[in-house]
Amino acid sequence: MEISVKNLEKYYSEKQILDIEDLVIEKGKITGLIGPNGSGKSTLLNIIAGLDKDFYGVVKYDGELINKSIYKNMTLVFQKPYLFKKKVSENIGYPLKLRKVDKEEIKIRVGEIIGRFEIEDLKDKKAHLLSGGESQKVNLARALVFDPKLLLLDEPTSNIDPESIKIMEREILRFNEETKGTVLIVTHNIEQSKRLCDNLIYLDEGKVGF
Amino acid sequence: MDYIYDGFKEAIKLLLGFDKEVYGIIYLSLFVSTTATIISSLICIPVGIYLGIKEFKGKKAFSRTLYTFMSIPSVIVGLVVAIILSRRGPFGRFDLLYTPKAMIIAQTLLVTPLILGLTYSLSKSRGKEIEKIGITLGANKRDIIILTIKELKVDLIVNIVTAFSRAISEVGAVMIVGGNIKNRTRVITTTISMMNSMGDYPMAIALGIVLLLISFIINSAIYSYGGED
Ligand SMILES: Nc1ncnc2c1ncn2[C@@H]1O[C@H](COP(=O)(O)OP(=O)(O)OP(=O)(O)O)[C@@H](O)[C@H]1O
Ligand SMILES: [Mg+2]
Repeated sequence: MEISVKNLEKYYSEKQILDIEDLVIEKGKITGLIGPNGSGKSTLLNIIAGLDKDFYGVVKYDGELINKSIYKNMTLVFQKPYLFKKKVSENIGYPLKLRKVDKEEIKIRVGEIIGRFEIEDLKDKKAHLLSGGESQKVNLARALVFDPKLLLLDEPTSNIDPESIKIMEREILRFNEETKGTVLIVTHNIEQSKRLCDNLIYLDEGKVGF
Repeated sequence: MDYIYDGFKEAIKLLLGFDKEVYGIIYLSLFVSTTATIISSLICIPVGIYLGIKEFKGKKAFSRTLYTFMSIPSVIVGLVVAIILSRRGPFGRFDLLYTPKAMIIAQTLLVTPLILGLTYSLSKSRGKEIEKIGITLGANKRDIIILTIKELKVDLIVNIVTAFSRAISEVGAVMIVGGNIKNRTRVITTTISMMNSMGDYPMAIALGIVLLLISFIINSAIYSYGGED
């Protein structure tokens, strides 16, 4: 899914948080969004995800304004994971359940992704009892399970051990290659952006630099 | 002091002897309050969740009004329902006054602001985050309400039980619309109040014990349930 942002302005009370004239997130690519704390990265992600509608300007998705089918085809993985008070496998299956995928297939697809994330041991645990790092993995798995056309990631690997970062990066790359899904990822880790990203956007005080 | 001792002795006799009248009263109490709580919950929980998440004009004023109604005196509710149901009232032709149905209506109205207010305030503080996650995963409005109810299940159950406790222990509303008629609309609280004024203590004490027991059971049940989480 291609995202185009035009004349975007976002204010919190009087303060301008975002001021973006023209920005395109290329279809099928992995784009990194970098910039200092408070520069407006999460705010931009929230707007693109359709969670924040209080802004001036236009955001288009493959040329369309936001609508139900776009909501169903994109997802945002928050910095702070929120998992439901259900088993890990039910958490991961939830997006498929919403899409009326039948039970047997949900089981298969959830099993697959649990295998790829190497979290078989967590499968039957209550998700809200997991550690921070474990939750972040499940959080990403839950977002990838339904093959979204647009994947928005807000620092998905911020407090994760190196081994798990490898797994998560591998799965992000695999998702992008296999489904041609567009990815926009916020990261503070330059090495990570080199490993993952085709393009980089630099945000500073709400403005896009080079 | 003997009359206290005798009162307790007689009370235990009534309870252990499965006195028909006493158990009829207990049954009606449970039936009226449970039905009222269920009816109100079925409506107020989804509505409260929805209103808590939704942004609308005058939300602040709405909150304040709702919270005020949460502590509405039960006699007021009783009076309003009695007026509406009375012969000359708008629903007079249904002939509901002084029936268990009228008592259910009154208690439903009594606990409605309570359940709605508690649900609304819970949803206002915790629902937004759940809604956000739901939207990112592709949930529509209905899915989000269901999801939020499931996520807040434990707190919602505590709220429902709180409302039930209020219903079963109130006197004013059921007294006014039920009339405390023997074998028809007599419940625990109205009986205690009447027996007390007649100086007939055994039955009052017996029912007092039952009412206490009910609230103990309920409270320990929610504590152990809430503790699981
Ligand atoms: N709800 C809010 N109300 C007021 N100001 C806010 C709100 N949310 C964010 N801000 C402000 O908007 C600015 C941008 O915040 P944002 O979270 O988008 O930054 P960020 O680039 O994601 O930072 P970080 O790297 O720390 O995650 C900050 O100055 C922040 O204080
Ligand atoms: Mg941020």
